[in-house]
Amino acid sequence: MRVRAALAGLMLILLVWPWMAPRYFVFLASLVLVNAVVAIGLNLLSGYTNQLSFGHAGFLAIGAYTAALLTLHAPAIPVVATLMLAGLVTAIVGLAFGVPCLRLSGLYLAMATLAFGFVIVEAILNLGALTRGADGLSVPVARLGAWPLASDTARYYLALAVTVVLVAGAMNLTRSRVGRAFLAIRESEIAAQASGVPVALYKTLAFGVSAFYTGVAGGLFAFLVGFLSPDAFDVFLSVDFVVMIILGGLGSVPGSIVGAAVVTVLNDALAAFQNYRPLIFGAILIACMLFMPGGITGAVRALARRVTAPSGGRSCPSSSAA
Amino acid sequence: MPFVIRCLIAVALLAAAPAAAQQGVSDTEIVLGGSNSFSGPLAFTGEQATKFGVDLYVRVVNDAGGINGRKIRTVFYDDGYRPQDAVANTRKLVEQDGIFAVIAPQGTPPVVATLDYLGQNKVPLLFPFQGSPIVRGHRYVFSGMTLYDRQSKMMIDYLVGPRKYKTFAAIYQDDEYGKAFLTAFEKDLARHNLKLTATEPVKRGATDVSAQVAKLQAAKPQVTFLVLTPGAGAQTLKERQKIGWTDTLMVSSGPLTDERYLALAGDAAEGVEGLSLWPDPVTSDLAGMKAYREAMQKYFPKNEPNRYSLSGYFAAMLFTEGAKRAGRGLTRENLITSLEGIKGWDSGILPPITIGSDHETQRQGFWVKVDKGRFQQLTEWLKSD
Repeated sequence: MRVRAALAGLMLILLVWPWMAPRYFVFLASLVLVNAVVAIGLNLLSGYTNQLSFGHAGFLAIGAYTAALLTLHAPAIPVVATLMLAGLVTAIVGLAFGVPCLRLSGLYLAMATLAFGFVIVEAILNLGALTRGADGLSVPVARLGAWPLASDTARYYLALAVTVVLVAGAMNLTRSRVGRAFLAIRESEIAAQASGVPVALYKTLAFGVSAFYTGVAGGLFAFLVGFLSPDAFDVFLSVDFVVMIILGGLGSVPGSIVGAAVVTVLNDALAAFQNYRPLIFGAILIACMLFMPGGITGAVRALARRVTAPSGGRSCPSSSAA
Repeated sequence: MPFVIRCLIAVALLAAAPAAAQQGVSDTEIVLGGSNSFSGPLAFTGEQATKFGVDLYVRVVNDAGGINGRKIRTVFYDDGYRPQDAVANTRKLVEQDGIFAVIAPQGTPPVVATLDYLGQNKVPLLFPFQGSPIVRGHRYVFSGMTLYDRQSKMMIDYLVGPRKYKTFAAIYQDDEYGKAFLTAFEKDLARHNLKLTATEPVKRGATDVSAQVAKLQAAKPQVTFLVLTPGAGAQTLKERQKIGWTDTLMVSSGPLTDERYLALAGDAAEGVEGLSLWPDPVTSDLAGMKAYREAMQKYFPKNEPNRYSLSGYFAAMLFTEGAKRAGRGLTRENLITSLEGIKGWDSGILPPITIGSDHETQRQGFWVKVDKGRFQQLTEWLKSD
């Protein structure tokens, strides 16, 4: 019950946020939501089926450019359909990419996804007639019927609605037969195969679902930032996404959201430190990994266990960290 | 006080704010800011242009009493050359830090990403360090660096005219910087009924250019343009020296003609020519350049004078001139009017500056040749009109 009350409270804050927070924080919150969707998508792939991807900036780029080009050339399509299509196009690419990747795991998969990210950036640069290459593409304002989503508040609510739907979808998926199959694959592919899980099918499916989430997020990203260029989707963005899920907690949907929020806000807050930004960011990450190896969700769980434990704070700290 | 009430007060205060004076200008201070590269591929340039450039002149002005009684304060954020971070930073500067104007941001993608937002919010974007002509024709934008099409015009007219060269090739960075130059070269050569005989792209960040150099050598151009960054530019010169390709004149673009590229290339740079956008930061004896070096010596004695810090220093200088002319009642609108009114203003660094309704603050360059590891001036300031 307490969890439900907390969730309702969080939802209420999210709903009234644009009316309470200054304009910039509405924008920042929208950015957190976009990154949260990417992190959930990546977590479904990496946290659940143990396929590490360093190429999600590439998927984000596909979604972003699809949404931008659709809005540019077919402005009649309502924004929700545009986002769905962005997700679908990205999912198709994800499936196509997932099949050859079935043979790869661990470092080799990381290499392949890393290369995928570079290939997408090159493709954007070389498809100049479509993407306007290195010059960049201005994204028109999204429309919902006759209503242009031109204000920060409108874009925030769009991102919020999409995120809520996708979070609910991910929660359901992970608790279903599919989610259990994903987890079984993570724990041991051989054992999963022996228990009758079609490993190849589910691993490919994970790629498709992950790409779909990231593609939808890409569409939101395009409308939020308003300008796309290949420079936006460099390898460091992919690394940021990986950091989000490791920091938040692998194999956890709430963890993905928390991780996305922490990394986005941290990145923003550290911008003022100029050339020390990467240094401070790196130091914080190392500290987090040292003291919270299970990510933030893992640490919170351990803390909750310690608080509710009958012996109170007297229990040995190392026992709860395990 | 309950949280909700505090929030309501905050909202009320925010709503009341626009009714007050101009954002970013108080009785005692003017706030300027910018998103720039402090990490990523252009980190060196970004740090020099802001902390050792804009801030250098700001110190000079503030120590001399400020602008019409107001001191300048600057805020800079790191975007690492990523457009989305530049958008976020710029929004934070405008909405949270309440800056008066954006000064000296860097790089075409990050700058262009913020154009629409700044235009909608009527925030001046002053002297971005980028040369793509894409920033032309915006009411709230004043360009900084001499735009690439003007640089191309000066280079081609000088080489085809007084120097009488006929065949040209180019090695260029495969992005908007390289392609903008390439388009301009082709257009300017067409005016003389000439064209580029060979072009070779280099990926951004690539260090091996041997294949490109070999192909260009086979095309036998009299002149080879280098539209690259210092690393790749120096590598091209070394590669040429290695394969003994001597019967071509290497000419560097304006953004490339700097001391770093010379230092990286070493003796392979001897005899290379190029378009210089700034007087030599170390040796020039122009009055403004001496003042620049004295200020650097006074405030940042450990930092070497260089073109990037000079460009930021000049940007702050030009802003100061505009703001002084706008007077005590400084607003964004009258800053724009007063900048547009600058005619024949002598900075002591560049030839007299005239800014018209086209908002181009710089349109000059002169020809240099590398002699014993330093740029020697070959011409007076060239014209690009």
